[in-house]
Amino acid sequence: MSIGEALAEGLRVTVIGMTIVFAVLILLMLVLMAFKLVFYKKEPETGSAQKKTPPDTASTAVKPELDEKELIAVLTAAVAASMNTSTYNLNIKSYKRIGNTSPSWSRAGLNDVINSRF
Amino acid sequence: MLDAFIGFLESTGVAALINSMVEAASSGKNFLEIMGTPLMIIIACVLLYLAIVKKFEPLLLLPIAFGILLSNLPMFENSGSILMHNEFFTDPQYMIDGKYLDVRKIFAEGGLLDILYLGVKAGIYPPLIFLGIGIMTDFGPLIANPKSILLGAAAQFGVFLTFLGALALGAAIPSIGFDVKDAASIGIIGGADGPTAIYVTKTLSPELLPAIAIAAYSYMALIPVIQPPIMKLVTTKKERMVVMEQLRPVSRTERILFPIIVTIVVALIVPDAVSLVGMLMLGNLIKESGVVDRLAKTAENGLMNTITIFLGLTVGATAKAETFLTPATLGIILLGLIAFCFSTFGGLVFGKIMYKCTGGKVNPLIGSAGVSAVPMAARVSQVVGQKENPSNFLLMHAMGPNVAGVIGSAVAAGVFLAMFA
Repeated sequence: MSIGEALAEGLRVTVIGMTIVFAVLILLMLVLMAFKLVFYKKEPETGSAQKKTPPDTASTAVKPELDEKELIAVLTAAVAASMNTSTYNLNIKSYKRIGNTSPSWSRAGLNDVINSRF
Repeated sequence: MLDAFIGFLESTGVAALINSMVEAASSGKNFLEIMGTPLMIIIACVLLYLAIVKKFEPLLLLPIAFGILLSNLPMFENSGSILMHNEFFTDPQYMIDGKYLDVRKIFAEGGLLDILYLGVKAGIYPPLIFLGIGIMTDFGPLIANPKSILLGAAAQFGVFLTFLGALALGAAIPSIGFDVKDAASIGIIGGADGPTAIYVTKTLSPELLPAIAIAAYSYMALIPVIQPPIMKLVTTKKERMVVMEQLRPVSRTERILFPIIVTIVVALIVPDAVSLVGMLMLGNLIKESGVVDRLAKTAENGLMNTITIFLGLTVGATAKAETFLTPATLGIILLGLIAFCFSTFGGLVFGKIMYKCTGGKVNPLIGSAGVSAVPMAARVSQVVGQKENPSNFLLMHAMGPNVAGVIGSAVAAGVFLAMFA
């Protein structure tokens, strides 16, 4: 075939192909959006995908009250572990959420882990 | 006694090498054809170097390179020690009715690699690799952010653009001889997904299999080099600094339903993609269901590693001097790079569109992760994003488009198979 024919054929396949790829994935997107409506009830879930960094100010709508007890339990355990003491000796009186400004050493540590697998 | 010794010498590889080179030289063949065997051995050694020292996707490149070495060792024609007979799989003369594989002949006269290659030819290995990949894949970020699936579709742009390019190149330089089937196989390199590329190529143009597999895996290893310049070129500093909202938690029910629904949806629209997508989703379901831990462990480790060895070795073994040392291989290597660049570009441009549409909530850098290459491409998004804004963690956001890219390239493969197979 000539270059003109090749380009025409290529364009035809490109248009059909991209349309089908988008159609399939848009359909899946709609299914996933339906998932969110059906299954996601803003209840605290111990989701594994959740990052350990505290939520930034934009998304603090993430149910602060509901998982309060759990959060305090986690905080107590973390403090106890790092201080090498028992949770019975600790009493968390208050905690304060900070923005997405985790300490630079922890960011550096996380970066190290990511970069080591790069 | 002396006769026996001379007889042995005449059966050695050295004799075979000299014999074939002299024969080629006396029948007036060109340099490439005369030096074919030694050149292929050198290429195998270079690839082994890249795999071992430079760590270019060593899991696949090492067996591929050794496969090339094994099938290009100097042997006499019709020698019983030949491990791989490409002609059994590509030359109609050796097939039943000129189109069906003569399996009896392959078992009777074939070597080790011939028999293992049946698994590629029958399309068994790539879907089984997908089974293992499915177990290792976490679709959580995708379920949490459904829109990111579109980036996985946009990044297939490079696949089709390269298809167009390969057709044009074939038309411009007839000696390369790319037809639509070859063009489709070359284009799918842009999906940045080795098993998918192999699956399409073994069906559409088996003679290009080694060049395409090597190009696909080498460029996948080079993603951290290929992508960042394009990412910086296409996006602005402000866009790269965007911090994205945290992903919502995803329930177990959603994780279990997702693979089942994807399989049904894909089958309804592109049945040709089901052997890849279906196995990917089966693997994912095995993991997410949490009830068949033993199957998960086997499919993810033992089975997948076994198949990786078989696949790499036999794909490499199809690289014989006469089919590999051609202008077509150079064309494939060039077009493969174009495919990767434009897939990255397609994802990024769509990422920019999403940035505009959401009023700056989406960081366009996650678009480049739409090329499959899990998880390398997502890590590149993370690293490039972090250079602009050190407190930004894009990794999980980029994993969404990344796993969507796997589905997207399998669908693109299904489209090609439906049109040209």
